[in-house]
Amino acid sequence: MTRTSRVAFVAACSALALGLSACGSDGGGGGDDAAPIKIGIIADLTGATGDVGSPYNEGMLAYIDHINAEGGIEGRMIEADSNDYAYEVPQAEDLYRQYVNDGVVAIQGWGTGDTEALSSRVASDELPFMSGSFAETLTDPEEAPYNFVVAPTYSDQMRVALNWINEDSGGSGEVAVFHNDSPFGQAPVADGEAWIEEQGYDLGYQAYPMPGGQQNYVGLLSQAQSQGAKYIVIQNVASPAALVAKDIADQGLDMKIVCLNWCANELFITTAGEEAAEGHMLIQPFAPLVAEKEGHEVINTYLEEEGIDPATIGTSWVQGWYVMHVMAEGIREAIASGDGEVDGPAIREALETMGEIDTGGVVGDGTVEFSAESHRGSTGTGVYMAEGGQMVEVEAGATP
Amino acid sequence: MAMTATGVHHRSYTSELRLRATRAEYVRLALMGVLLVVVPFVLDNYWMSIANTILIAIIGAVGLNILVGYTGQISLGQGGFLAVGAYTSVILSDRMGLPTPLAIALAVVMTAVVGTFFGLPGLRLKGLYLAIATLASQQIIEFLIRRDYGDFLTGGLGYINVERLGFLGFQVGGRDVFERQWYVILAVLAVLSVVAARNIFRTGLGRSFMAVRDQDIAAEAIGVNLTRAKLTAFAVSSGFVGLAGALTAHYSEVVSWEKFTLEVSILYLAMIIVGGLGSIAGAVYGAIFMTLLPVVIRNVANALESVVPFLGSQLPAVQNATFGLVIILFLIIEPRGLNRLWERIKEYFRFWPFRY
Repeated sequence: MTRTSRVAFVAACSALALGLSACGSDGGGGGDDAAPIKIGIIADLTGATGDVGSPYNEGMLAYIDHINAEGGIEGRMIEADSNDYAYEVPQAEDLYRQYVNDGVVAIQGWGTGDTEALSSRVASDELPFMSGSFAETLTDPEEAPYNFVVAPTYSDQMRVALNWINEDSGGSGEVAVFHNDSPFGQAPVADGEAWIEEQGYDLGYQAYPMPGGQQNYVGLLSQAQSQGAKYIVIQNVASPAALVAKDIADQGLDMKIVCLNWCANELFITTAGEEAAEGHMLIQPFAPLVAEKEGHEVINTYLEEEGIDPATIGTSWVQGWYVMHVMAEGIREAIASGDGEVDGPAIREALETMGEIDTGGVVGDGTVEFSAESHRGSTGTGVYMAEGGQMVEVEAGATP
Repeated sequence: MAMTATGVHHRSYTSELRLRATRAEYVRLALMGVLLVVVPFVLDNYWMSIANTILIAIIGAVGLNILVGYTGQISLGQGGFLAVGAYTSVILSDRMGLPTPLAIALAVVMTAVVGTFFGLPGLRLKGLYLAIATLASQQIIEFLIRRDYGDFLTGGLGYINVERLGFLGFQVGGRDVFERQWYVILAVLAVLSVVAARNIFRTGLGRSFMAVRDQDIAAEAIGVNLTRAKLTAFAVSSGFVGLAGALTAHYSEVVSWEKFTLEVSILYLAMIIVGGLGSIAGAVYGAIFMTLLPVVIRNVANALESVVPFLGSQLPAVQNATFGLVIILFLIIEPRGLNRLWERIKEYFRFWPFRY
């Protein structure tokens, strides 16, 4: 091969590389009147929390389906792009950058780790961000000005759980906290301990991280046993929590599980089995369908139209539906009060100033409200007991 | 014109030491330069962010290749060393108020020191045993940043928000210009890193690294100070890795332990295996390849979702499987990686129609 043809070959290769790298360019946009409103969803479908992450995502998409079928928000359709990030923070960051480039006006995220990792980014990009994470740090607009927490925080749920335990135990007892070994799991641990001190409860309190991928939690339970724990608060998703319930039943231990949020659902009961789950407590801020709140009617109508059996719809699905509902209401307010321009700051202002958002009794004590001082949407949560394979309401709208 | 090359021949030591021996290589250099300049004008913000991720990965992979590829000391501690760089730089700049460039420089030094410390077992251990020792360093550092006893790293939050990069009166701007401004910074640093690493191996120090890799006893016999060579390799390599870690922190504007796990160490090892062990260019190719791979798979899966829904619904699994498959294929087909493939292509054309 001659020198000139070599040069030509190299040049051709480089040109090809340039051409390839230019592929996929796509300008972002949004804002003009009739165009659909773009929302990016970062979902965990196959990762460590996929058991509750996928119904949550389905609930969100169902809500969007429902609202688009009704003609959209003020005549504008919602266009949601949902992608799996498998509970990996770097993947979430990659998806986030993609959504920003696509011109989304708001983002629905999922885990605590990735929501925290993205919080300063969404603040500088001015994109309202809701997620499946209810960590306390995200409710402070000083720290995270564009994060909105729809439900009571994990810490508030932990406080409600401790209040209940204090009452149930007659004022003294040992509490073991089993938590997911991640920012999500650790979120309420320290706040729980502070709460016991603050309230002057005579409760022992010890936290144990739950190693992932276990076949059983017998080892952890024996540690809790030597602590003398009668109550086990679990801050993890349903599948590992169900394993703990099974182990307790197998070993005939006298322990009561108090599940927070992501394990307080039907999946926990069905995975553990009706018998093993019997009598355990579930702190769940979103009312399950069996609680038959007013806000469930719209879901039931939707399910009927789609021919979906309501028995297959768990609480996580309802959570997804109503978190998306709160965001959609914010967007509706932004359109109504603004000049038709829908962007991040407008939605943020709408959410902060619109007052109470009605959820028909499904979320917390029924309504969600944000303000410029606090992005804590609600403090009330339902308390349920697993009874005969169902979630039976013990108390609605319990606050710390 | 009608000449056929028989190879690249040197007639003097100076000629052999030159970084580039043929005119085609200069043309390629010019094209690379043009490519680097053109990229910000043709890519949108999302692809720019991937370009930036690649540039950081290049610095880290070059650093790892100095240790693993050139000196033959297997390291599984990459994630931990990245973390040392990231945390050091952020704590020095945001909490102690040092100018960011100085903080990054000190982070490089700090990582080099930590790397040297964890390199000490390398004086006695080789091969798999050293791999396990560096695995321990990864686990120890990960444990420290994850548990954060005493809250001295993150103040109890579990993560640190990093201020937007600014130095000498310059401040990186909002989302319209963010990626492009970072690109300039990262491109300069990546080029400097590559040039620096490339030049190390034209010096006695670099050759002593390679002598250690090829046969440590022989190296000692010809006068290489094994202790010094190995520890210097750990220090130099960790310095590069610390730079990559510090840049990751300031670029992504958040530091949390989840970004510095063992998986990251393995990803970087995969980069240099796929790219080519013992070659700076290989580290660059590997960084580009392994960063683009998951993105390309996702785009392909999204495009094919209507035809093959399985691809979309099981995307992370597909990505992991492809990741493993790529490494195995490279080990079977071309263990010396992309760099060797590129050299073979070049040789094919250079020697055509003959094969040498």
